[in-house]
This record gives sequence, C-alpha cells and structure tokens, in this order.
Amino acid sequence: MFLEVNDVVAGYTKEVSILNGVQFAAEEGKVTVILGPNGAGKSTLLRTVYGYLKPRRGEVRFRGELLNGRRPSEMLRHGIAYLLQGHSVFPSMSVEENLELGAWIFGKDRQARARAIEDAYDHFPRLREKRRGAAGLLSGGEQRALEIARLVMTSPKLLLLDEPSVGLMPKLVDSVYEEIARLKDRKMTVVMVDQNVKKAVAIADQVYVLKLGANSYDGPQADFLLRMDEIVKGWL
Amino acid sequence: MDWSMLADPNILTVLVLQGLVRGAMYALMGIGLSLIFGILGVVNFAHGELFMLGSYVMYLVVGIFGMPFYLGIVAAAGVVFVCGVAIERGLVEQLRRRAGRDWISDSFVLTIGLAVVLQNLAHLAFGSRQYGVAELVAGSVPVGELEISLERLAIFGLACLAVLLLWAFMKFARTGRAIRAAAQNAEAAETLGIDVRNLFTVTFGLGAAFAGVAGALLISIYPASPTVGAEPLLKSFAVVVLGGLGNVSGAIAAGLLLGVLEAFTIFIAADGWQNVLTAYLVILVLLVRPAGLFVLGGKRA
Amino acid sequence: MQASGATAASPAAAPPASEARGAGLRKWAIVKIGLLLLAVVFLPPYFDDRYLTTILISVVFFGILGAIYDLMVGYAGLNNFGFAGVLAIGSYASALCQLNFGTTGWEGLLIGGIAAGAIGLLTGIITLRLRGLYLGLMTFFVGETIRLTISNLPQYTRGTLGLTVAPFENIFGIDFARGADPLNYYYLLLLLGAVIMIFMHWLVRSKAGLVWRALKEDETAARTLRVRATRWKLLNFTIASFLTGVMGSFYAHNLGVLSPLPTEFGVGRTVEVLTVAYVGGRGTLWGSFFAAALLIGIQEYFRGLGAWRLVLFGVLLILVMIFVPKGLARFKRLLL
Repeated sequence: MFLEVNDVVAGYTKEVSILNGVQFAAEEGKVTVILGPNGAGKSTLLRTVYGYLKPRRGEVRFRGELLNGRRPSEMLRHGIAYLLQGHSVFPSMSVEENLELGAWIFGKDRQARARAIEDAYDHFPRLREKRRGAAGLLSGGEQRALEIARLVMTSPKLLLLDEPSVGLMPKLVDSVYEEIARLKDRKMTVVMVDQNVKKAVAIADQVYVLKLGANSYDGPQADFLLRMDEIVKGWL
Repeated sequence: MDWSMLADPNILTVLVLQGLVRGAMYALMGIGLSLIFGILGVVNFAHGELFMLGSYVMYLVVGIFGMPFYLGIVAAAGVVFVCGVAIERGLVEQLRRRAGRDWISDSFVLTIGLAVVLQNLAHLAFGSRQYGVAELVAGSVPVGELEISLERLAIFGLACLAVLLLWAFMKFARTGRAIRAAAQNAEAAETLGIDVRNLFTVTFGLGAAFAGVAGALLISIYPASPTVGAEPLLKSFAVVVLGGLGNVSGAIAAGLLLGVLEAFTIFIAADGWQNVLTAYLVILVLLVRPAGLFVLGGKRA
Repeated sequence: MQASGATAASPAAAPPASEARGAGLRKWAIVKIGLLLLAVVFLPPYFDDRYLTTILISVVFFGILGAIYDLMVGYAGLNNFGFAGVLAIGSYASALCQLNFGTTGWEGLLIGGIAAGAIGLLTGIITLRLRGLYLGLMTFFVGETIRLTISNLPQYTRGTLGLTVAPFENIFGIDFARGADPLNYYYLLLLLGAVIMIFMHWLVRSKAGLVWRALKEDETAARTLRVRATRWKLLNFTIASFLTGVMGSFYAHNLGVLSPLPTEFGVGRTVEVLTVAYVGGRGTLWGSFFAAALLIGIQEYFRGLGAWRLVLFGVLLILVMIFVPKGLARFKRLLL
C-alpha cells in the first residue's frame, strides 16, 4: 500500500486518546476522503501521519517505510506535503518570499528554486501579479491558491489536506475542489479530511468514515453514494 | 534648575545627540532579547549575564592580549553565540520537551536560575573587580560650543552597523527568512520542511550574540564585572516592552526614544532619576498600550 | 493525599488492607511532624547558640516568605517578580512610621502589612487583567520602581546610606533590645509564622483556594463558570502582599538597618524567595520550609566555598525546573 495506518492509538495528553486503533490505507494516484462528525479524530489522524503526534501504538507506513517517530520537518523531503487547516501563509512576507520558503527543501540549488517558483506563477498567474505584495493582504481565495502552490512546488508524492475549503466564500469552494481534482492528473495522491461531504465525495475514489476515533465505514465512492443517507444520518 | 537652559540650541543639540548615543546602546542591548522573545516566546532573564560574558571576552581579547577592538567585538559575538546555542539546546529545549503547555512561565524561572549561575561563575573566575579597556577611539568633536567624544560616536556608529547587519540577515539570508516565517507561523514553516527546532537554537544564539556584542562595545561605559548585566537587563526589558514584545524594529525605535528621554531627565533632575522614569514609563505603557508604542491600533495583547 | 483521592473516587474498589496501611502511614507522618515541631520549638534554647539561632531565624523567615510566594504562584499561578518591592514597602512603612510618628514596632507589623497590602491591591488592579507574561514583566517593573524610588528619595529614606530602625519595644517583660537574646526574636518569628501558616493553610482549603486552583488550571473554563477571575486573583495578590508586608516589618526591626540594594529589596531577594518556593514545590505551602532549610543549610555549611554556593543555588533551581517541577515535596515520602 502507498500509505498505510495500522491500528494507531494517539492523543494530545497522556490520559486521553483521540484515535483508538484506526486502520487506514490510501492507494497511489487516488483521492481518499476521510469524513466523520466533529471530534471523530479526522484531523488528529492526519497530524499523526505527519509526525505532529507520536502514535502510542500501531504504525504508519509510507511506501513500505516506517514513519513513526519522524518529525514533521522531515516529511516533505520524503514526498509528503501537508495543508494545514485554516490559512497558513506567512502574512507579513511577500508572495515571492512565501514561495521561496515553499522551495526550502531545494536548499542551495538556486536554479531548482527559481524553476519551481516560475512553475507556481504559471499555474496561478494572479500570484505573479501580486508577487511583491504582502501575502496577508491577498484575498481568501488568493491565499488558498498561494498555499496550494507553495505545497506542490516540490512535486510531493502524497498530499494531506485538512479541510481545504473551510472558511472560503461559497463561489470559491468549487474552484478549490477543481484544483484538487487536477492534482490527481499530476500523479499526486491525495488524502483529504473534509466536512463538506457532497463536494469531497464527488472527487473521491475511496471514502473513510471515522467515529469517536475508530473506523466506522470504508468503501469506494460508488458504494458510499449508494449508502450515504444511512451512513451520514445522525452526524450532519 | 534653570529651565531657560533648555531653550539654548547648543544644549538641546548636545542633549539630543547624547540621548541618541545612549538610545543606540539601549537598542543594541534590547534587540537580542526581543528577537528571542519574538521567535521562541521566552523571556530571557539571563540576558544581562550574556552581556556580561561579552564584556569579559572584550576585556580578555583587547585588554589582556592587546588585539584591536574590532577583533574583541567579533570574538564576543562568537563566544556568546556558542553559549546561547548551548543554553537553548541544553536547557530551554529540555524544558520545552518536558513541561508541556506551562513551559513559557517556567522558562522565566529557568533563566533566572541560569543568571544566578553565570553571575557567580564570573565572580569565581574574575572576582568582583571591574575590568575596563582604554577608550576605543580618542578625542572629541565640537558641537556648537560643547563637545561630544569620538568614542561615543564610534559606539553609535557600530551599534547602527550591528542593527543593519541583523536587518540584512533577516531580509536576505535564507536562514533569516526562515526565522521570520517561523515567527509568523511555526507549524506552517515545518510543513515546508524547515526544521523549526534548529531555527530556535540559531535564534537564541543570535539573540545572545547581540547581547555579547553590546557588552563588548560598551565596555568603556560598563566595565566588565559579575553584576554588570543588571542595568542592561533592566534597559533591555524596558526597550522590549516599549517597542512591543517581540517587535525588533519597535525595540530599536523604543531604544532611541528612551535614550533621549533619559538624557533630558538626567539634565533636568539628577543622575539616578532616569531609571525611575524608565520604570514608571514601562508600567504606564504596559497599562495603556501593552502591544507597545509603535503598533498601530494599540492593544494586540 | 493521593490515597484519599483514590478512595473517594471508587470507595468500593479500595481494598481495606491498603486503607489501613495508608492510615498507619498517616499516623506515622503526624508523629514525625509532631516531633519536628517539638524540635523546632525546644531544641534551640537547649543549644543556646547565637549563631545557630540567627540561622534558624533565617530559615523560618525565608520559609514563610517562600510559602507566601507559593500562595500566589502555586495556588493561583501568579508570578510576582516584584516580591522584594512589596517586602520593602512593609519594611520601610513600619520603620518610617516609627521614626516620624512614634508608632511602635508592634503597631508597625500591622502598618507594614496594610501598606504592602495596599500596594499589592493597587499593583493587582493594574496588572491582573494581563496574562502570564505581561504579569511577570509588570510586577518586575513595579518592584524595581519601588526600590528605585526609595533609593532616590534619601531625604526621607536615607537611600543607600541605610535607614537605622529601632528594635521591637519590650513587651510582657521580654527583652527585644538590640543585643538581647536572639531567641526572643526566634520565638516571635515562630509565633508570627504559625499564625500566617495556619491562616494560609485554611485559606487554600476554603472556597477561595478552590477557585484559585480552578483559575490556575484553566482560566477560560473557570470564566465560563462565571467566576470573576480578576477579583479572585486580586484577593490572592492582596492577601499575599499584606502577609509579605508583615514579614517586611519584622525584617526591619530584627535587622536594624534597611538599604534599597538589589540584594536586599531588589531582584536578588525576589530570586531567593522564588527559589525557596519553587524548590520546595509549588502548591505545597509547607515545602518552602524544607527548601529554606536545605538552601540556607547549604549556604552556611559551605561558607568557605564563596560564590560556589550561589552557583549551587542556581543549578538546583535549573534542575528542579527541568527534572523535578514538583519540587522537594515530591520526596515527601522519604522524609515523613
């Protein structure tokens, strides 16, 4: 399996576990969506995969390699990118500086950095227009574009997205999901946590549902759509 | 006190100049504290002792080995940088790993303990004597009918240079840029592959190095002794609060402002009262504008 | 404490054997504490050694100050980095009233307490709305302001030249004059300490103590319970300042000379008291006495070591912060 989470137990304090033995797997080149009511442990699952939380039990494997105990700052070099919940641009730095930081792992390779930034500008022309402006002054949609551009500029293999459409104006929401669907064409694997069941499932291949830190459902998109009312009942 | 003296342009010029020189010193002292606070959130009570280390290094390099003064300053920066790195890795990081969410207030007390240790180690190594260095530059320049010493002007110039170097580092160097990013959103910086833990260490070292440079540069005014750090600590705190916690450019402006205010206070009242004024001013600012004097919109805390 | 908490939570599950053992331990602890108290009261006259008595006065004095500091930091999470300034207010208020208005040292205990309490109340009003970090900085500067103001008003306070203070007046035929048996001061301090400690012991177990701990654990949660956070903190701060002022007054009349030096009424003094409180263990009150005994014991035993003993102090504080955040109280079992 591309990404595999085996029987993981994790939590923020010693006394309380948020995840109680979660099983999860994502296939290469597919979009996997994780749904569930508030407090089900969806974001916690992503944070555990990314190393913000250490699993107390169980293991996380990426392309067969054990990720347990690795720190978040190592993940991008392994090809795993993470879109944080809410806005995460560096607000008082310019758009270009933000992108420079997005190319951080290229290190001293000036050419690779410049190329990645050019690609990002080609993909999001609006950002080129505002390259000198402070990122904090961009509109909500532009900030999200900058965040996604910054995330994919090193061509990661796996993207973890934590509620990518939350807090955006309704008319921008669709464009975000379109953008995510396009990432699939760029051979990227997507794992996405979302509250927006309909729109997320529309671009998903595989669907997981968590409840109270444990698996409640998993199956392909078509199956989920058939049984959606029954599954979703009670937590929407 | 003859108030009409304040109308004398000569006296005014000298007071402002003296104040600016004084202020540049304060800015230099406070900038490291502000940097460390801005990035790590730690209020470093051992800042004065790092200043002290710088002044002892200066004394050893220039006073004992007879090297030129700029080498003393560079050596102080290097030595205190290394100390800062060791302190961050050895103590602050350990506390952060163990103490959980309360670690910030615990870090106060941790650095207090560190200050006691460093101060008394210095006492053991050098005794309580004061060690100075003959002036860096001799002579003075006339300002109207009065004079201002070249030494003070050199201090002013070098302090400005140090601040400029820091600014350039933060603006253009990769590491500097990453430090600014981590200050704004450490978690986001981590997702970009930036090792924030290392940045914390580097930042603490840098902040320490600035304290060391201040100690070295100001040795003719504050000769090296175990307790020399007390006043710089107080002034650094004042500058950092007045400028807004963690706001480095605010700290610079606050330093200059404080310097000029103090120069006038000493002239109008007497030596000693400037410290009282500073303390009252800080309390007032904490009350009315806790985000600092130079933040638009006032309260951010 | 822990054992009783567990039984309260699940009375059925607690095996009677361990309960009996707990009670036995507790009985032993009471016996040991009783013996310790007897020793503290009756041994000093047996030795009748001026040097030893002076050290004991120091231990008890810093133990009480540490416990007062603990009342703030350990129970309500309030760090007062201007503690020495409050102490100075108590000392100077008592001394200056005696000098200028002819009040007695005994009245001075109350005068010092009220003056310091007032300053504490005032500081609290302007400070306690601020969160942790700002509170720390603010109190630091309030403390410095007090000390610097005293230092810059030599016409009233004699500044750093030092203010001479008369001893406590003789009372009930007990001689408190300078040069009299220091044991008299020792017993006065024990009496004062007993009253203060019993009061604080009661206080932290009252409703106020409960609210303080709730605020310390989670201010937002306590606020939603409609606890007026600032008022309760203000109460804590004011009481602690009052008690500090009383101790300041004792300090003035016992010592005989006051000077606004950093080591007397500045950062240095605050650091000493804070070290006692933290090493003793936050939230324990009584832990301070063991910390004071240990720290002053080290200090006296290693007199020949000079500055090394202060290095030891600092190292101890650092180690406690990193490795034993609960302080000496963690080793209470070994002792009692």
